[in-house]
Amino acid sequence: MSPTASAIIAAIRARPQQFAELADAHRDVPWPDFLHAWGEVRRANILGRDDNGNYRIEPCEDKA
Amino acid sequence: MKKSFRDFLADLDGAGELRRIKRAVDLRDVSALVNQSPQAMFFEELKDYPGWRLAGGLIGTRKRLALAMGCAEKDVAARFEQGLGRLIEPVMVEAAPCQQVVRMGADVDLAAIPYPLMHLFDGGPYLSGTFVTSKDPEFGRNAGSYRLMYRTPNETGIDLVSPSDMRFYYQRQLDRGRPLEIAVAMGVHPYEMLAASYKAPIDMDEYTVAGSLHGAPVPIVKCKTVDLEVPADAELVLEGELLPIGWTADEGPFGEFSQISGDVKWNPIFRVKCITHRIDPIFYFLQMPWENDWLAAPVTEAAGLRALRNASVQPVAIRAPVGSCGYWTLIASIKKRPGEGKNALLALLSVSEVKLAIVTDEDIDIYNPDDLDWALTFRVQADRDTIIVQGARGKHIDPSIKAWELGKGGLPTTAKLGIDATIPEGVPKQLYKRIQYYGKGRVKLEDYL
Repeated sequence: MSPTASAIIAAIRARPQQFAELADAHRDVPWPDFLHAWGEVRRANILGRDDNGNYRIEPCEDKA
Repeated sequence: MKKSFRDFLADLDGAGELRRIKRAVDLRDVSALVNQSPQAMFFEELKDYPGWRLAGGLIGTRKRLALAMGCAEKDVAARFEQGLGRLIEPVMVEAAPCQQVVRMGADVDLAAIPYPLMHLFDGGPYLSGTFVTSKDPEFGRNAGSYRLMYRTPNETGIDLVSPSDMRFYYQRQLDRGRPLEIAVAMGVHPYEMLAASYKAPIDMDEYTVAGSLHGAPVPIVKCKTVDLEVPADAELVLEGELLPIGWTADEGPFGEFSQISGDVKWNPIFRVKCITHRIDPIFYFLQMPWENDWLAAPVTEAAGLRALRNASVQPVAIRAPVGSCGYWTLIASIKKRPGEGKNALLALLSVSEVKLAIVTDEDIDIYNPDDLDWALTFRVQADRDTIIVQGARGKHIDPSIKAWELGKGGLPTTAKLGIDATIPEGVPKQLYKRIQYYGKGRVKLEDYL
């Protein structure tokens, strides 16, 4: 997994976040690279959503 | 002659309605920049996307919509209605600008096209200005517009919650355990976008509506990997299939055409098998909600005109205000005969998800809010001149219908209100005689300045 993808997961694990917050935290990463990293996170199949649209790490995956 | 997306950009340019930006722009800044511009915008250079340009906010006003349709602002509904009368079949071509560059298989990479983050609360980057084609063996070709949320380099979410022909096609395929092939064209002329917005009868091909609006056939080309056709002059095409997983994948929120941020929905996934585009592509950034709302207005208005005529009511003017997103409210003035205020309301409330209809006499200027308020104040008795219909078809993105109480894939209902603001039967018209100023026409202010 790329460093950006790992950083995104760590950020969401720390607290549920909006996509825009994740994008803001990676303004230094070229947008196509950020999208590739987001694709890696999506493919890891560990994301869930809360009622406010925040991304969170699904509890079962969190335990793992 | 059939006009292209580029022809429309030239029309905007010629009318002084297109602002060009030469400085390279970061895609993450485009949404805020387009929102600040009173004109449509054209970005000559996109940072990290060499070779791509971007046009956005094109139909941001009724004036620019009228420009696209080659008519006066008040005539857009009649112009669209005209397009429903003399359908023109598309014509197949062998070579197409939209297929000058072809990427399939492992070369498919949605991150390599300018996939913008549009709004603060969106669930991801979105494509909004889409013209999506699908087919059903029994009902034929369909075109509509659906938003696509970036998920991975070859997958997007797609909002297929609301009732539509493509949702129906998808359900039929889902019942067989099969995917539904779709092709997404971007950067097409507004006539194609209007045709896609129109809720055509299921056996009507929206390409023929677009052809009629153009007054010439839409050139189409066969897709590379799916059994579908797309407008040959498009800027960008995504080919692929909706996976047979039903409404199970998170999608949204997205800045909806209701002018609300929306919420997370459960939807199918679009897997992209092939990306084709022009050699010098222009990405279309459809600015929500305004472009969507202005594109919706003439479609809703034309449906209202048709409904009135089918009810043998003679319309004078009709308006789907942008405050109702060009979709939920219809205001019409009519040449009224006794009882037709109510007949007109019943007709207008039958249109799609219109939930508020107001009918006035022909002396009311429905484009003037003060004139409309005056009619509502003095021609309406609430116990006599309103109609409420319960349990009609609704739309999820209207928060007042509490769609969250539905299960995944469930369809909401709504109540509808009609207000007859025509002069009531039995009330003499002379009681509405307007004030006229003494000396009007004889005395001129400029003579005293």
